[in-house]
Amino acid sequence: MYPKKIEKFLLKVQKPGRYTGGELNSVVKDKNSVDIRYAFCFPDTYEIGMSHLGMKILYSLVNSRDDAWCERVFAPGTDMEQVMRENDIPLYALESGDAIKDFDILGFTLQYELCYTNVLNMLDLAGLPVRSKDRTALTPIVIAGGACVCNGEPMADFFDITLPGDGEEVTMELIDLLKEYKAKGATKQEFLAAAAQIKGVYVPSLYEVEYNGDNTVKSVTPTCGAPEKVEKRNVADLDKMFSPTEFVVPFLEVVHDRTTVEIFRGCIRGCRFCQAGFLNRPLRRKSPEAVEAQCRAICESTGYDEISLCSLSTSDYKGLGKLITNMLPWTIDEKINIALPSLRVDNFPKELMEKLNAVRRSGLTFAPEAGTQRLRDVINKNITEEEVLKTAAQAFAGGWTAVKLYFMIGLPTETEEDIRGIADLAQAVVDEYYKNPDKPKGKSVSVSISLASLVPKPFTPFQWEPQDKPDVLVDKQNFLVSCVTTRKVNVSRHVPWTSFLEGVFARGDRRLGNVIETAWRKGCKMDGWAEHLKPELWEESFAENGIDPYFYTARRREFDEILPWDHMDYGVTKNFLIKENEKAHKAETTACCREKCAGCGANKLNGGVCDEISKTVV
Amino acid sequence: MKSVRLWFKKGGLAVYISHLDMNRCMTRAVRRAEIPLWYTEGFNPHPYMTFLMPLPLGQEGKREPLDIRIEQDMSFDEIKSKLNSVMPDGIEIVDVLEPVNKPNEIAAAEYEITVEFATEGEAEGFAAGAQSIIDGGILNAEKRSKRGIKTVNLCEMVRSFSIEAEKNFCKIKTILAAGNSVNLNADLLLNALFAEFAAEYEKTSITRTRLLREDLSDFR
Repeated sequence: MYPKKIEKFLLKVQKPGRYTGGELNSVVKDKNSVDIRYAFCFPDTYEIGMSHLGMKILYSLVNSRDDAWCERVFAPGTDMEQVMRENDIPLYALESGDAIKDFDILGFTLQYELCYTNVLNMLDLAGLPVRSKDRTALTPIVIAGGACVCNGEPMADFFDITLPGDGEEVTMELIDLLKEYKAKGATKQEFLAAAAQIKGVYVPSLYEVEYNGDNTVKSVTPTCGAPEKVEKRNVADLDKMFSPTEFVVPFLEVVHDRTTVEIFRGCIRGCRFCQAGFLNRPLRRKSPEAVEAQCRAICESTGYDEISLCSLSTSDYKGLGKLITNMLPWTIDEKINIALPSLRVDNFPKELMEKLNAVRRSGLTFAPEAGTQRLRDVINKNITEEEVLKTAAQAFAGGWTAVKLYFMIGLPTETEEDIRGIADLAQAVVDEYYKNPDKPKGKSVSVSISLASLVPKPFTPFQWEPQDKPDVLVDKQNFLVSCVTTRKVNVSRHVPWTSFLEGVFARGDRRLGNVIETAWRKGCKMDGWAEHLKPELWEESFAENGIDPYFYTARRREFDEILPWDHMDYGVTKNFLIKENEKAHKAETTACCREKCAGCGANKLNGGVCDEISKTVV
Repeated sequence: MKSVRLWFKKGGLAVYISHLDMNRCMTRAVRRAEIPLWYTEGFNPHPYMTFLMPLPLGQEGKREPLDIRIEQDMSFDEIKSKLNSVMPDGIEIVDVLEPVNKPNEIAAAEYEITVEFATEGEAEGFAAGAQSIIDGGILNAEKRSKRGIKTVNLCEMVRSFSIEAEKNFCKIKTILAAGNSVNLNADLLLNALFAEFAAEYEKTSITRTRLLREDLSDFR
């Protein structure tokens, strides 16, 4: 329930439903009956945040405790922010309408580097100092999880704690610890030192970073007994892990508004550009029985008519066919559509595709990622042109007329040939359509190329690679467009400056904290939205702080350089990543984990167990 | 297959649910309640569900009709209690009945409107002025329609109007044209009146109380 003060403004802002709370399945508790109030803060709009599975899991998990109450907070739109600032309305949580500055934990999720300024803006809207050192009281403790905390260094000045890895267990342990330290009247310093002893907890302020004359990192030294290496947290058994049976059902349309159930964590593929594929190893699989039960429960409590079986590569789930066959009778009966995001073209049987179309037909998307076989070998995307075309032909035979293809530019060793190859592959897909004798009369085919730019990320084999500068990316984009000769193929492209800024933060260090604060004070926020991104203010902010952003993006790093994130341990060994990098430059592929264990080292996090190897499935 | 007319109340936080979002919200409620809804046939089956008179964002509704079709027989009492057990806060099914009138018989709607002013004087002034304008029969305003923006005389769409000042509030009871051919949004009327007097109000609350037929009998 929103604060009373805001009522008269609600009809003056866009989409008031973002700010009212009261959605079905939202959890309202008596604040006097709980010890810990937890604000789950999503540093983007309601529509984006409400689509995020991690929030749904942690929300239900924390609320499963009697002694804690988790509420939701999103970044307000610019119109609402203005109303709040003009009328002294501090950032509030949707369930209670209470100001979050009085909460015990503010937990942010960092899914994307370009939301960093939103974090500062939300802390400020809450009425809190943005820097960790200026928030001297024990509470609120400001924490963060999500993919970006694998290198949280650019945000090290702002967060008290970050949580690399799976959040389920460590969040609960942190709440227990804070409850204890709050009860005994401890200081923030005492709490942080104790928290640093929990596996999967990183307290940035307990690490001293020294730099060399050339601005590379000289050393990272832990203090107060904090561990030298912070090992990410790993949930060993997904079947035993808490999983929600209720989702908050938004009133307004959000990006993904459906039942989403994770089927496994990790990925067997080893595409060399893909950070998620390396961060989430080793592979852990949820049983089909658990998946089905969770799908059913969520559909019943929400009324959703779509289920997304979610993972990094859904067609790699062992037993997918059986799972879907088991689910189809009741999903068809209840008019529920099953969506399988992240399918691979090389292993998805045609019969399965037909079965899935029983209720509603969804779009078809392939991700060849690169235009030539040589470059696909460099990035270890082990699919062939033949497989793409074969699947496209099957889809056209099945009645599809539109296909979307994902590609990347700016990949290591890329040449003009590779970029032209993107247009050629799209053309080949178009040709495939016209080969189909049963194609619908009078209907044309539409092939959309979605063109992203590589941002080399920590903990991938490309973490040492230089990133193309924005002007180079623009040239490459234009070159691709000039190679497309048919109207049946259209190209949509990312903003190169966005990828550049993402690249700076992805591989940045602590010296960027000042830049982020300067840029935010100048008015930068919602940087991930093209209409809000202000490159000139960012350029000023880099200059004012004496930082050359290309130091972080355009430079090739040596294998022996200390990287700002080297004190994080995500299981995968540096030697493995070096080996993969060297193979990339020789255009040599690495077989997927199902064919042969590549020895990445991540199974040490899981007591030596990787479900890909250990669990046999009939 | 059987047609059923649900009558629902919308208030509280639910007034911030737009008409489009309402559609999704009710579809899901009906699914949660396991009402044997009839689905359209064809490429993209969707449940048959029609809001007869969309309620504008921010307005309350006391008795709003929603037509659905069910596949198997289910008692009206059961439909009502099942739906109410899964409704979000602010929406309540008040009646489940067989449709009597055709949707296009809706011709007017009755509203209760409260306007809050900063002072008693402003409320009195507005009440007197608004009544005389409506009684005078001319209040021009720009109205958006499918064919673009045009200036219309709103009074031609006002079937009855009475306003009283009470302390710093004005209470309005009015019947306005409603339906597919001629329709007047109560917001538009209020804003036109505010513009006429350059009146500054604190807050308005608009409640649609009833839908009526041409002869001003209840739409059922």
